[in-house]
Amino acid sequence: MSGAAHISDLAVTTGGGRAWAMVRTHFDIKSFGVNAYVAAEPGMELVGNHDEVDTKHEELFFVSSGRATFTVNGDEIDAAAGTFVFVRDPTAMRKAVAEEPGTTVVVAGGKAGEAFTPSAWERGSRYFVTQEYDKAVEVYEELLAKSPGDAGILYNLACAKSLLGRKDEALAHLRQSIEADPQFKKSAVEDSDFDAIRDDPEFSAITGQTSSARTSS
Amino acid sequence: MNEKAYEVVHLDELDRFPVDDEGLLWRPVRRRLGITAFGTNAYTAEKGDERVVEEHYEKDGHEELYFVASGSARFVLGDEEFDAPAGTLVHAEPGTRRGAVATEPGTTVLAIGAKLGVPHEASAWEETFLVFGLYRSGKEREAREQLETVLARYPNEWQGYYNAACFEALTGNDDGAVAQLRRAIELDPQAKEWAAKDEDFDTIRDRPDFPK
Repeated sequence: MSGAAHISDLAVTTGGGRAWAMVRTHFDIKSFGVNAYVAAEPGMELVGNHDEVDTKHEELFFVSSGRATFTVNGDEIDAAAGTFVFVRDPTAMRKAVAEEPGTTVVVAGGKAGEAFTPSAWERGSRYFVTQEYDKAVEVYEELLAKSPGDAGILYNLACAKSLLGRKDEALAHLRQSIEADPQFKKSAVEDSDFDAIRDDPEFSAITGQTSSARTSS
Repeated sequence: MNEKAYEVVHLDELDRFPVDDEGLLWRPVRRRLGITAFGTNAYTAEKGDERVVEEHYEKDGHEELYFVASGSARFVLGDEEFDAPAGTLVHAEPGTRRGAVATEPGTTVLAIGAKLGVPHEASAWEETFLVFGLYRSGKEREAREQLETVLARYPNEWQGYYNAACFEALTGNDDGAVAQLRRAIELDPQAKEWAAKDEDFDTIRDRPDFPK
């Protein structure tokens, strides 16, 4: 339905202190994807490093306040408020890190030549924000059935199950995820979603951490 | 089309085409960046008391999201009216009345839109907007070239000839204006009704051959 809202009213803090305004789902926008991200502190990741190979989306980023450093295909872009960064190549890796407190980025996306359908990641991720982890599990299991072995889906499934206290399943999914894509090792170490399984020796073994501070002295 | 992996542009670097005589500027974003999956434009009201989103309905099925990028505006959305400071998002379903007047100097509103359920196609109005934007910027030659591009691209749509008629009337080519208006009316008689109340034709309305 038609309506209005301020980004600050929609922004909900997610992992890493970044706040996510679920713009598309809030307004039930059906023709294109759109979200906004707000970083409370400099150094926070506003847009996680990713490509759009699965969705084939074009992505338009607009820095509406503050300042961010974008990295696209290894090129660093200093993006002051008012800067548009448009990534047309779905295979290009892109990310953005806030340089000032309160930096806000609005992101719109869609696939050229096709009618828009909401992205799978968004369907699942929204349930992390609303803390309906069982629903997140449902979405990611459905997605995993379609893309067996997908590291990102396995990782999210591990997060949701860790948050639900299903520790053994969480550890199994995390192991599969990291085997498929070692970059998730670093994510797992920093991700508070795994606080419930962090002290498990299996977690240390999977992530390659030589255990935590309590044994390092 | 440039096929670089990405493009970067600052709002300040975008073109500034006058849309009307009140000070509303059209800042083409989609065209500049080569976006194909959805429409994107920015509008700037420099003085701060002029219209920044024309009041309209998007009856052709475009869904739109407006984002107040800087300044502040008073929006109309359906039956509601409200203040929208920078950072406000306004979603308008197709067919919903919407419009906004700036309430601060330098107000810029970003509009993102696409049509539900179909692949996005760049809106033809952008092509026409450019004709008049160039003309109002004092670039008559470029405007005429753009007009010819529009007519070549949409040879069977009355709007192209209608806009050509407006352009000819504005540039003092009265015979050309009447000829283009006749073509538009041949394709769709509703062009005659539009012409009857369009002030672009005030200078030629009294001609005996003006279509009535």
